[in-house]
Amino acid sequence: MLSHSEASENFIADAERTDWHDETLWFVRAKRDKASKVLPEWEALREHASQVKDHTLANLGEYLVAFEAKANANGIHVHWAADAAEHNAIVHKIIADQGSKILVKSKSMLTEECHLNDYLAEKGIEVVDTDLGERIVQFRNEAPSHIVLPAIHLKKEDVGETFHKHLGTPKGNKDPQFLTEAARQHLRGHFLASEVAITGVNFAIAETGEFVVCTNEGNADMGAHLAKVHIACMGIEKIIPKRADLAVFLRLLARSATGQLITTYSSHFHKPREGQEMHIVLLDNGRTRQLADPKYKNSLKCIRCAACFNTCPVYRRSGGHSYHQPVAGPIGSILAPNIDKKANADLPFASTLCGSCSNVCPVKINIHEQLWFWRQDLMAAGLAPIGKSIGMKLMAYTLAHPAIYRLGGSLLRRFSGLLNSGLNPWYKQREMPQAPKESFQEWYKKR
Amino acid sequence: MRVALFVPCYIDQFYPQVAVASLELLEKLGCEVIVPTDQTCCGQPMANSGFASSTEGCDANFTQNFEGFDYIVGPSGSCVLHLKEHHPSEKIRNSVYEICEFLTDVLKVSALSATFPHRVGLHQSCHGQRGLRLSSMSERNEKPYSKLEDLLSLVNGVEVVMPEREDECCGFGGTFCVTEEAVSVKMGQDRIKEHAANAVDYIVGADTSCLMHMEGILRRQGSKVQVKHIVEILNHA
Amino acid sequence: MSAREQILGKIEPLAEIKHPGAFQGASEDFDFKASLELVGARMVSPEELERIFPNRQRLEKTLDGLSLAEVEVLEIDGAFGVAENGAIWLTEEALPHRVAPFICQHLVIHVQKIVPNMHAAYEELTNQTTGFGLFLAGPSKTADIEQSLVIGAHGARSLTVVIHA
Repeated sequence: MLSHSEASENFIADAERTDWHDETLWFVRAKRDKASKVLPEWEALREHASQVKDHTLANLGEYLVAFEAKANANGIHVHWAADAAEHNAIVHKIIADQGSKILVKSKSMLTEECHLNDYLAEKGIEVVDTDLGERIVQFRNEAPSHIVLPAIHLKKEDVGETFHKHLGTPKGNKDPQFLTEAARQHLRGHFLASEVAITGVNFAIAETGEFVVCTNEGNADMGAHLAKVHIACMGIEKIIPKRADLAVFLRLLARSATGQLITTYSSHFHKPREGQEMHIVLLDNGRTRQLADPKYKNSLKCIRCAACFNTCPVYRRSGGHSYHQPVAGPIGSILAPNIDKKANADLPFASTLCGSCSNVCPVKINIHEQLWFWRQDLMAAGLAPIGKSIGMKLMAYTLAHPAIYRLGGSLLRRFSGLLNSGLNPWYKQREMPQAPKESFQEWYKKR
Repeated sequence: MRVALFVPCYIDQFYPQVAVASLELLEKLGCEVIVPTDQTCCGQPMANSGFASSTEGCDANFTQNFEGFDYIVGPSGSCVLHLKEHHPSEKIRNSVYEICEFLTDVLKVSALSATFPHRVGLHQSCHGQRGLRLSSMSERNEKPYSKLEDLLSLVNGVEVVMPEREDECCGFGGTFCVTEEAVSVKMGQDRIKEHAANAVDYIVGADTSCLMHMEGILRRQGSKVQVKHIVEILNHA
Repeated sequence: MSAREQILGKIEPLAEIKHPGAFQGASEDFDFKASLELVGARMVSPEELERIFPNRQRLEKTLDGLSLAEVEVLEIDGAFGVAENGAIWLTEEALPHRVAPFICQHLVIHVQKIVPNMHAAYEELTNQTTGFGLFLAGPSKTADIEQSLVIGAHGARSLTVVIHA
């Protein structure tokens, strides 16, 4: 697996595509800006949402139990999964009991986190992803590169080619309207035929036992309302206390995500329809560990709007796949190390700590500060390359001793020409600063 | 007013003119400026690389040099933010100022005798802007303000133009600039492109680290655009 | 130990942080029609509706969602509209089937009442106990291919709203 910096270098090698990717996502950020700035209460909404999440996390156990009781009373089966393996086994058993070999699934980053599709494929069950972007990347055997816009790394030519191969659309046709229509017809067949539908969950309400799923395409609803069995998969952090809290979250979610006023469909699933089986799987998979660490607890506030992706100058120029995790971008970089420190030790460093992410975040997660904390924890865990540890210790020693610092500085200036070398990553595409004869301190002494 | 001038290590070694301009400007404005001569660094290069645990010696040295002052002023938003957020001494955290905020908020400067008849593009450095709140940011729904622009408005002849994305990061990011070299350079190139489109003579900012990064790219490109720290303009006769 | 016990056992109660209560200070000055247009819907008079969709269907309750697969123009009643975002609250009681507003090709909704914003909307829903309800804002859409907006992804290809004040 390539590290973020290696994968980014490959991504940027195609400068034209990188510019396009950057501009496309910047455009989404600009739409978000416009939508947020027409609401004078925007910053108050962010603060309010953050406080609701703070309150919820402080009482998460109680709210989960309350939700479970209400959902059960509503006729929904509630399952608990400690980790991805348990989650997948629960979902598989429900499908196997129904006897289905194929099912439809709307967008759920949680099922990506659990690698559910691969797991079910091994059991001989085909998952048809029904979000257009997800279907595109599924055809291509790729992972989504963005949690809201899964195929944002692809150009319409790529999609045209993919649909030609998998759906038999005319070669060379790259018209989004035409290609979307082809997907509509193709997926409608699956909606009408599927007996099981899996959806994600945007919010689950402790007060009522209902859950809310937001889409623009209507794919979650098309699947869930036609299937005999609806399985909704959610992380335990998706709980909010009251239905009325949704007002704040739904006002923030779509505006932050795409600049829309609200997603086209905000569906409130309260009880199964007559004759239907409805299941909810509550997943931990490291979330309780995050909750217990005050430094990282706030990451559980995330409502998966991806505003931090769109604003991140690094994400826009490196693409989602460079993060080698289902959730990329700044939020992914603070979630992933919680699951596997070693495999994701590069991600908290894939940031300039510019702080833009924390300030677009609709629930005010201090993302850039958590990136900083992860850097400390990962290095303390011994995950620094050996050269870096030595270099840092040397630098720390030098900067703690003024005389050594002065000597080192004058040597550095005198021999700075030696740094004009291919071994110096700075010099690869940048000139070194021109070394002055005197340092400021040397000048000041003579003043 | 008695002020200790904090000169970040890389400014001391590579951009002494920024420290000279800071010293002269503060003196012009009536401050008694002391330069502690055993100062080295704020500790940020280690801390942002995940080695905050190794900065004890560096922090102690900073404390030793600066704890006797009520005003510690430095020409670098990034270093000042690091001290404010992470330095172990509360006295230091509460006494340290980025020079622009010191000029606008403490000295409340309302006139300068500076002239700089050039077209300059303003670079909002992230740590100064979002960290120290030197100006409003595009992410938030807030009333626009800018301490940097307020100061530049006191300079004769200068024409300030903003890049199209007015506060996007330049990609320096400390050790990020070498560990993520490709993204870092691409970010810098993109910032420069927007300033060049505005036909600026100079890119100006309150953080020499960002300017050093962009200068490196500009010089490699053979560009005529130069970089300057804002104090060099505020101090320009 | 069950996963449930395991998970709940790992959650230590944190220092109490109060729920902030109802949101105060929400804007109320929104134009429902303008919002409808922004979400890709149109508002028409009853006469215009007659002209645009002379053949529309109001359907009886059914348990068979698949039977609705061929519906061209479905006409339903919404509970209320929300001025700030053009969303209309629908409940399954007013639908032939939960899938109806998604599976039809074109959707017509009659609205009797408008509330200013989402806070007011949820006040309306205080005692709502429906098994399924949704805020629907405009026709089905996607921008998953190069951010090009395409109307009519999986759900209805158009939304026409008639207001009866």
